[in-house]
Amino acid sequence: MLFKLQKKTLIISQIIGYAFTLLIGATIILVTSQFYFDIKPLLSQETDLFKTKAVVVSKNITVFKSINKEKIYFTDEEIKELENQPFIKNISKFNNASFKIKAYTKESEKVPGFYTDLFFESIPQKYLDVETEEWDWDPSLDFIPIIIPENYLKLYNFGFAQSQGLPVLSKNTISLIEFNIKVSGNNQIKRYRSKIVGFSNKVNSILVPEDFLLWANKEFGRGDKNKTSRVLIEFKNPSDKAILKYFNENNYSISKDKLEFSKLVFFFKLALLFVFFIALVIIILSISFIIISLNLIIQKNKELILNLYNIGYNHNRIAKFYQIFISSTTVLLIIIAIFISNFTRNYYIEKIVDLLDFTSKSNYILISGMSLIVILIFAYNLFIINYIKKIVQPREEKISKL
Amino acid sequence: MSDSEISESDIYLQESVLFEKGRKYLIRANSGHGKSSLLNIIYGSNANFDGNINYDGSSNHNTFSFRESKISYVFQDLKLFPDLTIFENIQLKNGLTNNKSVEEIDHLIDQVLLSHKRDNLVRNLSLGQKQRVAIIRALCQPFEFLLMDEPFSHLDEKNCGIISNIVSQELEKQNASLIMTSLGDTSYFDYDKILNL
Repeated sequence: MLFKLQKKTLIISQIIGYAFTLLIGATIILVTSQFYFDIKPLLSQETDLFKTKAVVVSKNITVFKSINKEKIYFTDEEIKELENQPFIKNISKFNNASFKIKAYTKESEKVPGFYTDLFFESIPQKYLDVETEEWDWDPSLDFIPIIIPENYLKLYNFGFAQSQGLPVLSKNTISLIEFNIKVSGNNQIKRYRSKIVGFSNKVNSILVPEDFLLWANKEFGRGDKNKTSRVLIEFKNPSDKAILKYFNENNYSISKDKLEFSKLVFFFKLALLFVFFIALVIIILSISFIIISLNLIIQKNKELILNLYNIGYNHNRIAKFYQIFISSTTVLLIIIAIFISNFTRNYYIEKIVDLLDFTSKSNYILISGMSLIVILIFAYNLFIINYIKKIVQPREEKISKL
Repeated sequence: MSDSEISESDIYLQESVLFEKGRKYLIRANSGHGKSSLLNIIYGSNANFDGNINYDGSSNHNTFSFRESKISYVFQDLKLFPDLTIFENIQLKNGLTNNKSVEEIDHLIDQVLLSHKRDNLVRNLSLGQKQRVAIIRALCQPFEFLLMDEPFSHLDEKNCGIISNIVSQELEKQNASLIMTSLGDTSYFDYDKILNL
């Protein structure tokens, strides 16, 4: 009877408006947050080949710098400043060889003879993206392992070898070829056997083991201070947007691939955040809408509520209908939103799996939907009870004071 | 209120007025002298007064809970729900305590000559019909006091007779008191005490 009476007080169009906006808001919020969780690993590069998240940084070379070479080197202050950046975890310098190096082979049936000037650099081994057992330098062996950029091999195979009618070489073949290295400086000359033991994708340089280079610089080096033109930087989080900003401001050049990606990630996150924010606004609007609507319903039916109170219905019983109605509407809608969100998730995961190496993450839609239900229902019930109490009870408060 | 009006009052001039169980009181006064206010104060829906109201000698009570089982009230403005039928209006009140069965309610409706309108919306009734509904609704709960605020103002002699009979029977059955207000003298009940305001 009470419900029948109160049912007539509802304004259906407003309830539908609430239902519609809540459904849209809740669905978008559930989908975007789940989407974020799902693709987060792709964004934060946990699946990256480079475990260390390190990149090579150098200064941009301009016309002026090519005249004054000193400017391509990092000063001690600049290195210090880099070290102090919050997004940088670690910095390692490239060591240069400060002595003359020549590589040569004697012509044989297997390999054409060559003779070339060379340079060496070295980086700490942990930043190498090449795994090889031959990297250790043994001073007693007169052997130097070398790593070259993979690009060099491609350049040779697809460019040089093609045009000069030379044989193409696989990585394995190259690794078998031994050649000679002549190191000179400080009035000393020493010859070594050498071999290419690996190919780097990350470091564009000819690398030798760091302990060899340090030793050789002492032995053969010109003795001038080791200048740094390139540094290896290890980031805490490579998608940190501060990184790009800093390097642009300081005109440093950085191996772009990763940062292009992080730029993309930045905009993507921004877009996702924006959608999330819009959905939040929609939900807040729908909540305000239903609160205003309830307010209106209660005000419009103030007399009815007071009459009910007068014939003996307390505020809890009067509020019960509105509580049940709003709660069940909200629960129903969010359950629908959960279903739609799950459906949408299955759809996009199917697409992502086709495109990328993707392992499905835990599904938070249900739990976030449920939390939304709990929060909303708690808020609504509190509001309705208190509002109806306020309408009917000013008198009682006065009585209890007397 | 002016002094001359107060001087005639049987209630406001006394330190206290006692309403006892099982008796019938008539409160008589002209329009605007506070008959409804007095009943509202007793019912607990008006707190704008000085002094104390004691129930069973105690002023520390929750008047709201009295509305279910101790005090029933026929409001002057009836407080019916126009969008419900006669039966639904009564059942809405009866549902709080389930004091009367459907048959008993139907019998009451029949007694006040409204059985043909049982399922009509109250908004379509005349004032006199509404008054009858309000009165029988007030009987559908256990009570120790029945407050009636000018209950017969729109009823003819015949209906007044019927209603007073039903009310008297119910009062006797529940061993309850009647506190009724009226503009002048009425002879529908055997009042134990007539009070002027």
